[in-house]
Amino acid sequence: MEEIIKIIGIGLVALVIIIILKQYKPEYAIYVSIIAGILILFFAIEKLTGIIELLQSISNKTYINQQFLGILLKITGIAFLTEFAVSVCSDAGEKAIANKIEIGSKVIIITMSMPIIKSLLELIMEILP
Amino acid sequence: MDINLLFKIAAIGILVAVLHQVLVRAGREDQAMMTTLAGLVIVLSMVIQEISSLFDSVRTLFNL
Repeated sequence: MEEIIKIIGIGLVALVIIIILKQYKPEYAIYVSIIAGILILFFAIEKLTGIIELLQSISNKTYINQQFLGILLKITGIAFLTEFAVSVCSDAGEKAIANKIEIGSKVIIITMSMPIIKSLLELIMEILP
Repeated sequence: MDINLLFKIAAIGILVAVLHQVLVRAGREDQAMMTTLAGLVIVLSMVIQEISSLFDSVRTLFNL
């Protein structure tokens, strides 16, 4: 409960500051929104560490391949950062750059998930007669 | 790494805006431009520090 209040507080304070700054110096408003985004993401990151440790402990018990879990975590990290960059760019009005970042991250994610797709296909080949 | 970072940037922004107006009224447009650029550079360096710390923590977290 405490965390959500902190997050909402930062968001609203940043909103007020941006509105004030937008009249005098619009270029500073972008910096304030970036910093507010980073602060809120840090709260999210603190929460994520527990979830990731839980995932790793579960995957140790089961027969899930450790490499696949690593790839999944990497992809989540990439998506996490990409979403941050895309929202900052589109917020500043640069939709084109946001789309380019989106495309780039999709390509990287696909290339990283190649081993998983390959092993999945091999599994299917074994099952089919 | 706290809310006062937001207030620091807001303070710099407003200070530079006031300085800009004062210098423009005093007829020194070029110096006004200089102060605006200086303020931008200062705030940019602070923001870049925060972004790099975000990227480092995400990298260590997801072992990217």
